[in-house]
Amino acid sequence: MKVQYSYLKNFLPTALSQVKLADIFTKVGFECELDGPIIDFDITPNRGDALSLRGLQREFHAHQSTQLKDTLSYKKLKFKKDKAVINKIDKTGCGNYHLMTIGGIRSIKNLDSKKRNFLLAAGVPLISPLVDLGNYVMLEIGSPMHVFDLDLLDLPINVLFQSNNEPFRIIGGDLKNLEDSSLTIQDQKGVQAVAGVIGGEKTAVSKSTKNIAVEAAFFYPDKIVNEARKYGLATDASHRFERGVDPAIQKQALERFIFLLGAIAEYDSVKCFEGDSQAVKSNVVSLSIDRFNKFSGLLLTKKTISSLLQNLGFSLNSSKKKNLSFKVPSHRFDISLEEDLYEEILRCHGYDNIPIKPSKASLIRPQNTISSTSALKTGLIFGGFKELMHMPFVSEENFMKLNSKPKKPAQLLNPINENEPMMRGSLFEGLFLAINLNVKKGYSSLKIFESGNVFLKRGDDFIQHHHISGIVYYHEPQKSWDSKVISYDFYSFKAEIYQLLQTLGVDDLRLESNSNNSAFNLNSMDIYSGTKVIGSLGEIDLAITRKLIKNTAFGFELYPQEISRHSKVIKLKSISKFPSSTRDINILINKSNTYEDVQQILATGSISFLNNFALVNTFEGKGIPAGLISMTLSFIFQSVDKSLKDSEINDSMNHILRLLKKSLQAEIRS
Amino acid sequence: MQIPQDLIDTAKLKLKSVQSEAEFFQLRSQYLGKKSYIISAFANLKSLQPKEKILAAKELNLLKEKLSIIFEGALGAIQHSDVINALDVTLPADPYLVGAEHPISKVEEIVISYFSSLNYQVFSGNEIETDYFNFEALNFPENHPARQMHDTFYLKSKSKSDHLLRTHTSNTQIRAMQSLTKEELPFYMLSPGRVYRCDSDTTHLPMFTQIEGLVVDEDVTFGDLKGTIINFLEHFFDKEMEVRFRPSYFPFTEPSAEVDIKFGDNGWLEILGCGMVHPNVLTNCNIDTKKYRGFAFGMGIERLAMLRYGVQDIREFYSSNLDFLNQFTS
Repeated sequence: MKVQYSYLKNFLPTALSQVKLADIFTKVGFECELDGPIIDFDITPNRGDALSLRGLQREFHAHQSTQLKDTLSYKKLKFKKDKAVINKIDKTGCGNYHLMTIGGIRSIKNLDSKKRNFLLAAGVPLISPLVDLGNYVMLEIGSPMHVFDLDLLDLPINVLFQSNNEPFRIIGGDLKNLEDSSLTIQDQKGVQAVAGVIGGEKTAVSKSTKNIAVEAAFFYPDKIVNEARKYGLATDASHRFERGVDPAIQKQALERFIFLLGAIAEYDSVKCFEGDSQAVKSNVVSLSIDRFNKFSGLLLTKKTISSLLQNLGFSLNSSKKKNLSFKVPSHRFDISLEEDLYEEILRCHGYDNIPIKPSKASLIRPQNTISSTSALKTGLIFGGFKELMHMPFVSEENFMKLNSKPKKPAQLLNPINENEPMMRGSLFEGLFLAINLNVKKGYSSLKIFESGNVFLKRGDDFIQHHHISGIVYYHEPQKSWDSKVISYDFYSFKAEIYQLLQTLGVDDLRLESNSNNSAFNLNSMDIYSGTKVIGSLGEIDLAITRKLIKNTAFGFELYPQEISRHSKVIKLKSISKFPSSTRDINILINKSNTYEDVQQILATGSISFLNNFALVNTFEGKGIPAGLISMTLSFIFQSVDKSLKDSEINDSMNHILRLLKKSLQAEIRS
Repeated sequence: MQIPQDLIDTAKLKLKSVQSEAEFFQLRSQYLGKKSYIISAFANLKSLQPKEKILAAKELNLLKEKLSIIFEGALGAIQHSDVINALDVTLPADPYLVGAEHPISKVEEIVISYFSSLNYQVFSGNEIETDYFNFEALNFPENHPARQMHDTFYLKSKSKSDHLLRTHTSNTQIRAMQSLTKEELPFYMLSPGRVYRCDSDTTHLPMFTQIEGLVVDEDVTFGDLKGTIINFLEHFFDKEMEVRFRPSYFPFTEPSAEVDIKFGDNGWLEILGCGMVHPNVLTNCNIDTKKYRGFAFGMGIERLAMLRYGVQDIREFYSSNLDFLNQFTS
């Protein structure tokens, strides 16, 4: 709520500067921002009662421990019940309803310039003197009012949950289809206002208006809440009603209205009516002095507590030795529990005056959870990767490119950018954009990764998975100063990721060819820990990068939640004291066979004394028949309990050759 | 036969001035080569008497052995110094890339590590959440204006429309508290994670990172909350801080406070929100409010990072701009 400092001072008996005054309000819970001559009060949604000068007065006096005296002038009015004016009131939505009819209005002048400037500073537009006056009283006392052109109303008024299903033209001209759940003000012709929100165009005051009906009512907050939004509206009245308007001030608001009207217009007659009302029950809340002091860490006396609350308008209901109970004032919709009173006492006593205690620590050490995420991140960073973060919103097209069917996107109902209504299903989209951006900026070597959640829809539910994904991209080959080219290919990349996972201690780590991950082309692999897929790696499929990436790039996607890092039980193997022997062979196999086939055969072949084997090199081309590939394999033989004889090693080598011949039709190359 | 005794000393002396391998081999040939004194002395042995011959041969062998050892040792040193001299070690290393943690991760880690040292347990939670865990259980009545403070993203769903992107990490607190057994109280937790608000400008992002803390214990006071927050802030900024607790409103705490710090010349700056846990929230989590009380606090990591590193525009963090991120390598 924005108020001119100069105008506010008329209501507060103080000589405090604008800055000091703002500071006082900030300290009691109404954060103030200064904007030239204006103080902008941040009124939290629980404190609708403070959305007026009267509300601010109350807070100021409570803080100063002084009594608020009403210095405003009113014209006393008498209200009567008349079914010909106010007929049916639905008391579940409307606590009280008042109508003041004023006849023969003429010589209408504008509000004085101070009041008009006050309204403008508060962000309330000037409409016409009569409407402006209603708005002014709302800002002064806190009760929203509506002014009808009396001649256009077909009395009596009914306040009902019933829309008659007719489109309703609101002030300003827009048509709204009202729902039956909305409380409406109706005359004999139909709906003339949406209660607590806005009036209708048909009965609005105009320059030719001679007779008016001014409405002041109390509508229950829970019946008004969401009403304005439902019709795409936000009005000063709805803002107040949905937060709670004091149900005791409607008559006073009309008395103030008629008093002020005297200064800007002449009129002939005033009649005041009230409908059937239902008194709003006032809460009584008890408070234990001991509990409060234990809660706050303070040692306040009964007297202090009592006086702080009474300054805020709470009246003492009962007082026992260590217990007090208070009647909550009608404007405080936010007080119903003992803890609500604690807050009132503490904010008026001052949060700064509560003694500071040492940090609160738990004596119980939480279970040690080893996070794969942080270990993976650390490993990547030491491997030269930079961590990036991106917004998770993507277009449908980009979602589909990176997530093959049947994966379905999680879609937002109210995206911030309508072109990106989906939640990401992969982290690669952000990384592609990052590569494109940084290559344009002149970076030619990039190792980047992101750690974050991806989202999918599954049935009526949504699922989220944590991924760590990264890309290695060399826009140009790296060269050292002596023109040495540092080559980087699929196998360099595979080594990096494999080394990371092995160093991390991932159980039973292995790779399998051809991942289904849409981000990669055929040169890709799934990463397994035992039977669980813990990620994938491969060459980025440039077709899906929308030309964001121009050259070969390699990517990985890891699922930290699937990577277990339980402290493994390590079974030590006996270490041989005897010498090892190495033998190499050179085989020719069909290119359709993979190295993995060779590995598989050797690993499962029960080869005596074979300690380890490795691929030394591969060759194809000159001297090798088409369709074949030459592989040089190196074998290390060793026994834990003896030195091996040549004949024993020869037997094993022959066994190897037999296996390779039988399964792969391998030929020995001389 | 007269054997010169200074042969070793002169060899050592001459070796000292040797600069290269070529000079070394030349010198070695002088002392141990075919034309050297030693070799010619061996040739001259045959002219000696058998007794003298044995003595002289012994002496010569000893001398040859000593010279060989001296030269062998000197060769190692010369070859080693040759290698060092061959390189300009100041030439650059082969190209390499420097890895770096994102500044948001760095700050998140500082906060987590501080509260972990106070034995707060870390929980991560769902970013797509139901209305119940994000609002209802946290004492936000349906349609309450307080919900408008959280510009919420909602998700499209056929049967249920109550899925949303969480607006704070308090949902994790509800899930954690609801799964507690009585034996697991008192309870200290930290919930870091991404949260979402339908809002974007130079100081607001539709997604940002939050860390919330929660303590449920007997005899917890507002003073404990103040101390915990102030000590953390002084640890984070590594200096004594001027801190202000200002009354505010959150549906899930009562009383609630915003915490401001004096930072640079900017006057008071809002840094986090906190309060005593609202009894309704504890009741929703089946925690006995007669026995236990709680406090909670929550902070935006981006805000902390902006202050720590002097970042002006919050959007930089999510820009992928390596010119920006490269400054956070240390």
